[in-house]
Amino acid sequence: MRTLIRWAARLYPEAWRNRYAAEFDSLLDDISPSLGDLCNVLGDVLRVRVTTVADPLLTLAAASSMTLRPPVVLSLTAHGLMIALVLVAAVGYVTPMPSHRVVAPLPPPAPDPPLQVTDARVFPNALTLYSSLPLMPANEDALPLYVADGVGINFLALPDIGAVYQQGNTEWRVWPGQALEAFIVRRVLPEYPHDTNNPGAVSVFVEYLIRRDGSVKVLRTSGPTPFTTAARSAIEQWIYRPLGYENRHCEVLSRVEVRFDSEFVQNEMR
Amino acid sequence: MLDPTILILASLADGDKHGYAIMEDIQVFAGIRLGPGTLYGAICRLEKRGWIRAVKSESRRQPYRITAEGSLELKKQLALFGQVVRTGNRRMKEA
Repeated sequence: MRTLIRWAARLYPEAWRNRYAAEFDSLLDDISPSLGDLCNVLGDVLRVRVTTVADPLLTLAAASSMTLRPPVVLSLTAHGLMIALVLVAAVGYVTPMPSHRVVAPLPPPAPDPPLQVTDARVFPNALTLYSSLPLMPANEDALPLYVADGVGINFLALPDIGAVYQQGNTEWRVWPGQALEAFIVRRVLPEYPHDTNNPGAVSVFVEYLIRRDGSVKVLRTSGPTPFTTAARSAIEQWIYRPLGYENRHCEVLSRVEVRFDSEFVQNEMR
Repeated sequence: MLDPTILILASLADGDKHGYAIMEDIQVFAGIRLGPGTLYGAICRLEKRGWIRAVKSESRRQPYRITAEGSLELKKQLALFGQVVRTGNRRMKEA
């Protein structure tokens, strides 16, 4: 059974095998695998393959005027993926698992708690990189973390998390909003701009800098003007405890989504 | 069944563990045996989200450590579970 599971693990994508094959192999040596474990691995292989392959049928359905029912699309997609998986295995795409002596390369380490960051990446061409970064939209599944008076606030995915932007003698370190939660002293929620003609849900994205003294300066905003103005004026009133890196105060960059939704207001009024 | 990612975060909350130790620990405290595919699928997702990270090790067994973001997420999920449990218990008493 162990051999069968090792064979099944070869169906994982190459990147997965390079990263996890050695320790996965070690785990198999530690347990007494069963048929259920084999099915479990095969199921996960399928899940990984499905989530890492773009779905051409869904793209086609979105691009054409043809209406495809979701179950049909899902069914066709699953069958297509299964066929692709078999073909990929047949043409020798699947390569042998690395031997035990090969040490899988570690991924770039994630940042530690703010005061213990030791592995921040340094970008020498910081300004070029920085100006090319879009303000990222939040995960659609994420719920607003704070909701009151018609606004919700979400933390944003930060593609450059842990980066250090240098400009002269100034350094800005990028930390996730979640990690900064432990340091916030005062948060002011933006007021819904009632004078706007846009009563629906509107998201604006704000990038801000926490200065050495804990005060906040908004660097960039993205979204319609009345909403960005409201978000900017509120966020610039936020106050954090002074943040530090290696026992030195430092300036920290972060980004949030501020979601204005008239339904939030209506819910509160009920 | 609970999300395996939450079980893994809970297992790592009291210290670093490698895959087999995580699997054993979860079986002890939750009575759930994660299959190897489920375990490494969840570990992969947790690493991508930055909620756990690999710790350097000379052994083939790769230990993992929960990050600050992972701890926050665990707290958030546990608070949510607590609310569900309280609500469920209250409603069962009322029924």
